[in-house]
Amino acid sequence: MKALLRAELLKLRSTRTTAGLLLATFALVPLTVATTVPHVGDENAPLSLDDPGLLADTVGVSFGVPLVLMLLFGTLAFTQEFRYGTVTSTYLGEPRRKRVLVAKWLSLALASVVITAATLALSVALGIALIGSRDGDVTLAGHFWGLVASAFVVMAAYGLIGVAIGALVRNQIAAVVGVLVWMLFVEQLVIPTFPAVGRWMPFGATNAVFQLGPALSLDGKLLSPSVGGLVLVGYTAAAVLLALVVTPRRDVL
Amino acid sequence: MSAIELNNVTKSFGHVHAVADVSAVALPGQVTALLGPNGAGKTTTLRMLLGLVAPDSGTATFGGRRYDELTDPFRQVGAVLEASGCHPGRTALDHLRILTTMANLPQDAPGRVLAETGLAADARRRVGQFSLGMRQRLGLAAAMLGDPAVLVLDEPTNGLDPPGVLWLRGYVRRLADEGRTVLLSSHALSEVELTADHVLVMAHGRLLRSSTLAELRAEAGVGSRVRTPQLDRLCSLVDAAGHTYRRTDEGLAVDATPEQVGELAAQHGVVLHGLVGTADLEQAFFRLIQESDPAEHLFSAEGAPS
Repeated sequence: MKALLRAELLKLRSTRTTAGLLLATFALVPLTVATTVPHVGDENAPLSLDDPGLLADTVGVSFGVPLVLMLLFGTLAFTQEFRYGTVTSTYLGEPRRKRVLVAKWLSLALASVVITAATLALSVALGIALIGSRDGDVTLAGHFWGLVASAFVVMAAYGLIGVAIGALVRNQIAAVVGVLVWMLFVEQLVIPTFPAVGRWMPFGATNAVFQLGPALSLDGKLLSPSVGGLVLVGYTAAAVLLALVVTPRRDVL
Repeated sequence: MSAIELNNVTKSFGHVHAVADVSAVALPGQVTALLGPNGAGKTTTLRMLLGLVAPDSGTATFGGRRYDELTDPFRQVGAVLEASGCHPGRTALDHLRILTTMANLPQDAPGRVLAETGLAADARRRVGQFSLGMRQRLGLAAAMLGDPAVLVLDEPTNGLDPPGVLWLRGYVRRLADEGRTVLLSSHALSEVELTADHVLVMAHGRLLRSSTLAELRAEAGVGSRVRTPQLDRLCSLVDAAGHTYRRTDEGLAVDATPEQVGELAAQHGVVLHGLVGTADLEQAFFRLIQESDPAEHLFSAEGAPS
């Protein structure tokens, strides 16, 4: 398994796709932070500068783009193998396909630690600078540390779900378009419009775990953090199990 | 060294019978060619052998073990199934490094196989810049990473230019001469005529023939091509000896062995400028395939010489 994991990490490092996705993400995180921190005197903003949870909320919202990245990253880990036919040599090197799946999950989990840490560093630094410059409340309260811990777990879960989606869908265009449409349109539309349904969706549950109800003007409409966490665990487990059952049975043509 | 064994392997995709009850053996020290037109079931057979496609019934083994039962498969079996099996954004060296890492092979393996396949100078180029022939070589390089005793190659000459084909023939022949088992597929007998020891002919998912190339050649009948400045005289001599002949652009095609024609010419003092034996294997191959399904007119119309 160690050799398989090292090979998977080498796959991630040896193409430009990884660097491109990371650059795009880290370009968008500052933009999210800048649009989340309210301006002085902005009465209509969902958050106020003297809110002790402002930094945590700002950091939480800044994970919107990295979460999409992790899901795409995981999806591409498998769909690229099918698109370019490298899945053949991967399965010839390790015919026990479940081990290939586990190696990909581990590699994405490791990658998620790096991306989460980098996102946190960037959003916390920018958040403190921006909130501080507007004389706002820069408090590292309990909510903040809970968010930091859950960010690592949720990002890893998105990576796992992405790998499972890639293994199940296989067609890269279908998988990537599907993920983007779901994350950027379906959930963004359903969560605020039909919160009773949307809060049970993966991104809705994630917002609950990050306690972003007030920041997203969805106060009281999301699940509790613990229930949201359980829903996410459920989605992750279902995706992982389905991939483990289906992948070994499929013919590679 | 391991023999490849196919025992009654069968595979259907929906209503299409891709491979039907195929049994065959490929032995160490030999090049075995799996021949057949497109859609004959060759690729599906090889994919079943390599554990990529699950047979509906039957077994495909290396030395008695299924591919997924092999320990360190890269050290035992090397396979090239598609020339495009590389990420175009990766360098050739990185592609091989990934496989080397995955299979716990020595770190100098990529350098060795790149040199063997003539790609050493292109190691750090991205595969997207490679020609189809170079990708085919890279596929072979990947297959040889673990220095395996068995090689399985699906249409390895696809995309190779004439020097590449010549190189491949020599490379594959050398590997078999070293005692390895080589099973390669092709849709043209002429491509493997100079390399293969044994042929397996497939069409419509069925195995039509398993025989040595020598047997197939004997069955096809042996003839001679002759060049001579005394064409009319040789024609009458051949006719008198009871052989049929036809005039060609270059001279004469005679339905007799080169030994028979040479002796006949020597006895009567006829000057020969050239004398080579021919066996119309391709014709025999097409005949076999057509006989397997007389309704298959398309193939004869497209490819077979009449």
